[in-house]
Amino acid sequence: MDAKKIAQYISSQKKAKNFDTATVFQVLASEIKEITSDLRDNKHLQLKLITATDEREENGCFKLWYIFAAPTEHVFIVPYIELKNTEEFPSLMSSIEEAGNYERKIQTFFGLTPIGHFDNRPLILHENWPSDLYPLRKDFNWNTKPEESQGTYPFQKVDGEGIYEIPVGPIHAGIIEPGHFRFSVVGEEIMLLEARLGFVHKGVEKIFETVSPHEMIKLSEKISGDSSYSHSLAFSNALEQLSDTVVPKRADHLRVIYAELERLANHFGDIGAIMLDTGFSFGGSHGARLREIIIRMEERLTGSRFLRGVNICGGVTKDISSEEKNNLITDFAIITKDFSELIEIAQDSASLLNRLKGTGVLPYTIAQKQGATGVAAKAVGIAHDARVDFPYAAYGALHFDTVETEQSGDVYARFCVRIKEVYASINLITKALTALPSGPICANTKPIFKKNAIAITLVEGWRGDILYFVTTDSKGKISRVAPRDPSWVNWPLLEQSAPGNIVPDFPLINKSFNLSYTGNDL
Amino acid sequence: MITFAWILQLIFVPMLSPLCIGIIRKIKAILQNRQGAPIVQPYTDIWKLLHKDEVVSSDASWIFRYAPFVVFGVTILVGASIPLFASFLQNTLTSDLLLIVYSLALGTFFLALAGMDTGSAFGGFASSREMTVSALAEGGFILALLTISLIAGTTNLFAISNAEILHTGKLFLPVVLAFTGFCIVLLAETGRFPFDNPATHLELTMIHEAMILEYSGKRLALMEWAAANKFLIFAALGANLFFPYGIGEHPTIEAITVGIVALMLKTLGFCLGIGIIESSMAKFRFFRLPDLLITSVILSAVAIGLIQIL
Repeated sequence: MDAKKIAQYISSQKKAKNFDTATVFQVLASEIKEITSDLRDNKHLQLKLITATDEREENGCFKLWYIFAAPTEHVFIVPYIELKNTEEFPSLMSSIEEAGNYERKIQTFFGLTPIGHFDNRPLILHENWPSDLYPLRKDFNWNTKPEESQGTYPFQKVDGEGIYEIPVGPIHAGIIEPGHFRFSVVGEEIMLLEARLGFVHKGVEKIFETVSPHEMIKLSEKISGDSSYSHSLAFSNALEQLSDTVVPKRADHLRVIYAELERLANHFGDIGAIMLDTGFSFGGSHGARLREIIIRMEERLTGSRFLRGVNICGGVTKDISSEEKNNLITDFAIITKDFSELIEIAQDSASLLNRLKGTGVLPYTIAQKQGATGVAAKAVGIAHDARVDFPYAAYGALHFDTVETEQSGDVYARFCVRIKEVYASINLITKALTALPSGPICANTKPIFKKNAIAITLVEGWRGDILYFVTTDSKGKISRVAPRDPSWVNWPLLEQSAPGNIVPDFPLINKSFNLSYTGNDL
Repeated sequence: MITFAWILQLIFVPMLSPLCIGIIRKIKAILQNRQGAPIVQPYTDIWKLLHKDEVVSSDASWIFRYAPFVVFGVTILVGASIPLFASFLQNTLTSDLLLIVYSLALGTFFLALAGMDTGSAFGGFASSREMTVSALAEGGFILALLTISLIAGTTNLFAISNAEILHTGKLFLPVVLAFTGFCIVLLAETGRFPFDNPATHLELTMIHEAMILEYSGKRLALMEWAAANKFLIFAALGANLFFPYGIGEHPTIEAITVGIVALMLKTLGFCLGIGIIESSMAKFRFFRLPDLLITSVILSAVAIGLIQIL
C-alpha cells in the first residue's frame, strides 16, 4: 500500500492502523458526519458498509465501522467510532442517504439509536420479534426462543382520489423467494412501491459467531444460493488475509474460472428469464438451456451444481485436469456460437425490444446517491467492478481491466450489460485456462488468525460486489462476520425504478434486477 | 340423422376444446425446442381438478360460487348455437349474430364480477383489464360479423355459413379484411398473445388467469374448460363464417364427416397460427393493446365500405 496516497484520506492528527487492504482510524462521534461526508463527496470514495461490533466485554464499548472503498488505491478507508456508556450515535442520513438502511439495521440488531434518522421502523425483523431484544449483541444467546410479540408495521401511504393499493406476496405464484411488495397505483400506473423483506431471515451473522472457521465457509455458501461461490470466495479471502496465508497461483486461476462459471450460469438464466417475462418464450427456453449447460459443467468439474465445497482457506479443493481443460475450451467455442445466435434472434425481435427499452429506468443520480452496485450500476454507466477496482484471485495477473457499461439505465441496458459480461466471462475463462500455471491448488499451512485484526474483502459476484467484514478478538478468534450482499444495496433502487411504470411491467423490471431475498435478509 | 347431428352439435365444443389447447401447447413446445406435455394433458388436468377439493374464501358471495356455472353454461349454449360442421341445423332461436355476441359478453361479465368478488387485489385489476380489453374488442367483433352478414343478407349464423355468395369467393377482399379484424378479436377474447399470456406465472401481468386465481377444484375446472370452449367457439366462427368451405349442407353421414374434418383442419390452422405468434414475439405493453383493437374496428369498417363499392 502506498502510504502517501492513503494519507490524503486521513487527517494528520488521526492515528491510523493498517491491515492488508484496510486502513482504520478512530474518530469522535461528533466528527463522524463531517469526515464521512468529506470522504464521500469531496474525495469520491464509495460507502460500502456501515456496521457495528459489540466489544463491551473486551473494550467496554460498541464500535461503529464506516467502510469506504478507494478504488484507485485498491484500499478501504475505515473510520470508526466508539460508543462508551451510550447507545446513541449520530445518523448520517441527512448527508449520506444510503447510510439510512445500514443505520436502521444497526438499530434493529444492536439496539443502538441513530439520532436524526427519519425512519425508525425496524428492518428485517418483523412484528413477531420483541422490539427490546437485539440479537447481534454478544449477551444474546443464539438459541434463545423469544416469546412471540404483536404489532403493526406502518407502510407508506399515498393519499388521493383513485389511489388503491395492491399487496403482493410474500408468497408468489412462481417458485421464487418470499418478499412483500406494496404498490400504490392509479389505474395501471405505479405511484409508489414499498418492498418489505425479512421473510427469510436466518440469523446468519449470529451463527457466524458460533461455528468453526471451516463451517463458516460452508455457511457463507448458503447465504445466497445463486452466489454460493462468490460468497465463499470473499469469505475465504478474508480468512487468508487474517492468517497471512499465501494462495498458490494455480488456485488463484482456478478461482477465476469457477467464479466466472457462476457468473455465466446466472447471466444466461437471467437473459432467458428477462425474455420469458416479456412473453418471448423462445428466448426464455434457450436461456434456461444455456444455464443448465453451465450448471452441469460445474457439477462435472466440482461435483456441485452450485460450486459448493470448492473454496477453502488457502485455495480450492477441486482441480481441472489438462484433458478437461481442452474439453472446456472446445465447449466454450460452441457455447459462444450458440449464445450469439440466440442474441441475434432477440435483437431482431421488435416486440421484445419494445418491451425492454424505456422500461424501469433507474435515474443516474439516484443510483449514485444510493451507492448502486453491479449490473444495476453498470447499466447507468457507473463503471465500478471489484475485479478491476480491488483485483483478487488472478484477475490482476490476467490483466482484466474493462468494466462493461451501458448508459440508459432501463431493462434493456441491464439486459445488454449481462450480454457483454457473458462474452467477457467466456474470454476470461479461456484466458485463465490457457494461462493455468502448474503447482498445488491449496496452501498446506494451518491458518492461525492474527489478533485484534480486521479484514475487508470485496468480490464481484454476478449481481454486484459482495463484501465481507471480518474481525478477530484479542485471542485471535473470529468475533464478527458481516457479509453484505449486493442485493442489500440494490433493493431500494428497485423501489425507485418502478414509479411511472405500469403494474404489468413490474415483474420484468424486478427480473432485470433479479435481487436475492436471502442475501438481503441474512 | 338430424337428431344424431344435433347431439353431435351439442357435445362437439366441450368435447374437443381441451384438445385444441393441448395442441397449441404442443406446437409452442416444439417451436421452443422442448418436448412438451402430451396433447391430451388438458383433459387430464380437468379430470384431476374435478376430483379435487375446493377452497372458497369466506368473503365470497353467491356470484363467486355460481359464476363458473354461468360462464361454462354460456359457452355450452353458444357452442351449440353456432355452425360447427353442419349448416343444415337451422336454429332461429339462439343463432342470431347479436345474441351470440352478447351471450359471450354475459359470460365475460360474470367472469369479471367473480374476479372482483373475493376482494383480492389481483382479481380486481384483472377484471378491470378484462373489461378494458373486451369493451374495445366488442366493436371489432360486431363489425367483423356484420360485414359477413351484410354480404350474406342475414344475421342468422347458420344461414350465413350456408350462403352461396361466400362459397363462390366473390367479395373476397372485404371477407379477408373482416377476417383479419376478427382474428385480432379472437386473440383478445381468448386471452392469447399479444394480449395476455396464458402460460405466465407472474400475477401482476395476468388478465384472464388473475380473474380465476381464487378458484380451485371443480369450479376452476369449469373455468378452465369454459376458456377452452371459448377458444373453439371463436375458431369455429372464424372458420365457418368467413370460409365455410367443406361445411355439411345435407344431413348425410358423408357431409357430416367432411364437415367435421374441414372444421378440425381449419381449427388446426388457428392453433398453428397462435402457436407461432406465442413463440415468436413478446407480449405487448398493456397500453398498446387498444391500438391493435382499434385496428380491428377499422379493418371491418373498411370491409363494409368495400361491399358497397364492389
